[in-house]
Amino acid sequence: MNGMSLGYVLVRSVILIVLLMSAFAYFMVMERKVIGYFQLRWGPVRVGPWGLLQPLADALKMLAKEDAQPLAADGLVFHVAPALTLFVALAAFAVIPLGPALHIGGFLLPLSIANPSTGLLFVLAVASLGVYGISLGGWASQSKYALLGSLRASAQMVSYELALGMAVISAVVLGGSLSLPRLVAQQSLHTWAFIPDILGFVIFVICSVAETNRAPFDLAEAEGELVAGFHTEYSGFRFASFVMAEYINMFTLSALGALLFLGGWNGPFGLGPSVWWLLTKMALYLFLFIWIRVTFPRIRYDRLMQFGWKVLVPIGFLNLIWISVFVVGGGWR
Amino acid sequence: MNGPMVAFACLAGLTLYSAWRVATAPQVTHAALFLAATFAGVAGLFFLLQADFLAAVQLLLYAGAVMTVVIFAIMLSEMREVESDARGWRSLLLSPRLGIVPLVGGVGLAAILLSAYHRAAPSWPLSPLPAAPDSTRFIAHALFHAYALPFEVASVLLLAAMIGAIILTRTEGGAKG
Repeated sequence: MNGMSLGYVLVRSVILIVLLMSAFAYFMVMERKVIGYFQLRWGPVRVGPWGLLQPLADALKMLAKEDAQPLAADGLVFHVAPALTLFVALAAFAVIPLGPALHIGGFLLPLSIANPSTGLLFVLAVASLGVYGISLGGWASQSKYALLGSLRASAQMVSYELALGMAVISAVVLGGSLSLPRLVAQQSLHTWAFIPDILGFVIFVICSVAETNRAPFDLAEAEGELVAGFHTEYSGFRFASFVMAEYINMFTLSALGALLFLGGWNGPFGLGPSVWWLLTKMALYLFLFIWIRVTFPRIRYDRLMQFGWKVLVPIGFLNLIWISVFVVGGGWR
Repeated sequence: MNGPMVAFACLAGLTLYSAWRVATAPQVTHAALFLAATFAGVAGLFFLLQADFLAAVQLLLYAGAVMTVVIFAIMLSEMREVESDARGWRSLLLSPRLGIVPLVGGVGLAAILLSAYHRAAPSWPLSPLPAAPDSTRFIAHALFHAYALPFEVASVLLLAAMIGAIILTRTEGGAKG
């Protein structure tokens, strides 16, 4: 179809997976370094220059660990859950375009694996499957802490998905399309979407932290009460898959935030489009994730659910009404 | 064999196999997982037919929302294993889950569906829509113009179900939340 053979798609998928995995490895180093500096420490420095070989050491350690499984665990589900979580995280990234298609000597290199006309809906749909891995992983461990953690995590993800959807819909109404490249094109014609839709952008940032179950919304793995939440019983590479999925979900959400609200691959001040602009915006967005993590203490669970349902969802609705009024009353068109 | 054919064979195989396992898996959680795989397989088939919107909605609603509720229900109940009703060939053949009855029922249903499809086939547009890749716009137009009233009636039904759920879970005497 469209002159793209299955082999070409496979090659690009493998390249993307390798890129995401190495981005994950080095983002971990960056996170530990940044948190270290925030807390007046050095962070990792021992392995390699500036601790740059740390991810290799971590990966070796993870692979060498014993693959433990509780006796009461449900074998099939226990094994499927981490794989499913990682698969879903990787699949969601497949339709994220990193830039306009490149022409290298008459050779077309599209910067996304697939480009369906409903790309945005596809990302949301696949991301909503991430709840499975977490709830099933916690359930299959047959341990109280894991079950409680997975219940918390899935309830939280389902609740915040609604507010996230409200923020995303406001961007869709503004751009008039479900296709990510077209939304970016709309923003290059007018202004970046966060200027009329600042509320939507703020809601999106809050929800993206909650969706990835990170501090201050990491109730699912509150160490003090739940040991480590849904992945308490996991070790070795299965544990690593859960962590990897969490970070790849962060990449997906940061790319989505940059594409929907921050003008995608368009440069600021009328500078031309480039892949590097998108990557810079993603890096800033990821830095924000870390910044939020080191700054805010964990929220109480009932407050978290109240905040989601009674604050974010109503504000999301109001913002959607404002954006609709803006679009109907002339707005961008 | 070209790309789409391979993809179709894989997806159809996945869908059929997991649909079969939904009925035969001895554990409820496994059956739920296989049901999710069935939904995902159907979504993949929609993608292959270039029905992007249907595929995404299939994933979002069936594989995402509906299955999450099912899994929550299983996790919160004590239900784990289905009583094995297969002891010996005789009871296996007569079992309502694995025996003759579901086989005949399934084949009969497939036959009815196929014959209905063949009857309706002439009036069904067999050729793909010419140069209309934006199926979302097409569906939105149908939903909010031609079928606006049925759409609203369906939402009233959902509202009634929600009110029913609230009444069922309400504590007597109006306890304070």
